[in-house]
Amino acid sequence: MSELLARIEPTPAVPFAGNGVTVTSAPPMARFSLRARKATDLEKLLGVSVPQKIGTMQNGVMCLGPDEWLMLAPHGTKIADGSGLSLAVTEVSDRNVAILLEGPRAVAVLAAGCALDFDHFEVGRATRTIFETVEIIVVREAAERFHVEVWRSFAPWLWTAFVTVAAQ
Amino acid sequence: MILIHCPYCDEKRAELEFAYAGEAHIARPLDPSALSDEEWETYLFIRNNPRGRHHERWRHAHGCGRFFNAVRDTVTDKFETTYKAGEPRK
Repeated sequence: MSELLARIEPTPAVPFAGNGVTVTSAPPMARFSLRARKATDLEKLLGVSVPQKIGTMQNGVMCLGPDEWLMLAPHGTKIADGSGLSLAVTEVSDRNVAILLEGPRAVAVLAAGCALDFDHFEVGRATRTIFETVEIIVVREAAERFHVEVWRSFAPWLWTAFVTVAAQ
Repeated sequence: MILIHCPYCDEKRAELEFAYAGEAHIARPLDPSALSDEEWETYLFIRNNPRGRHHERWRHAHGCGRFFNAVRDTVTDKFETTYKAGEPRK
């Protein structure tokens, strides 16, 4: 708890209620970058099945590339280091922060700076892409709810961009 | 905006997500020290620079992160096809 209190977040703790969309800083969480040539090695490590199609998410693990996965888990989660398996586990919990967009205009806010086709972006999809000039990972958690991962140092800029569009 | 088909993600994405990485299918010499200066210069610097069909490398830098090859027309800027790295020239 003291660790949580001591954290300095790059985005405001108070949600921003815009026009038809709420912009919220996600609570701190554990993140792991997982690299492996074969998904089966990861499944041995985690004990759950992991998605193999790029852009899909399953059991909190998203497939970002042919040999790259990102796992999101509750704050404080620890996983094995994978010794003995041909894979690499890197904890990146503090590399990213997440911003949540929720409401009927969530798609409009994202589409303001991102060229993805959100009409064909199903719930449950997760992909790395770019917002204006900032690299983000977009997860569609529900039809009107998005989880956006962004590197810490880019987060204040992204927050400002989201809030600016949300206020319109 | 140009849409480029990433053969790994298997979908068309905006050009913004990609990075150009020069001409494709240029193999690094297996034994550089055996090459003359002219041969090494050719490997390093001499490119086809065609007008029309051009085989080139691209990287899905803000997506899956993979390098792949593409055939693009240098006159019309249209992508004819894209294919995974390591596959034969198309």
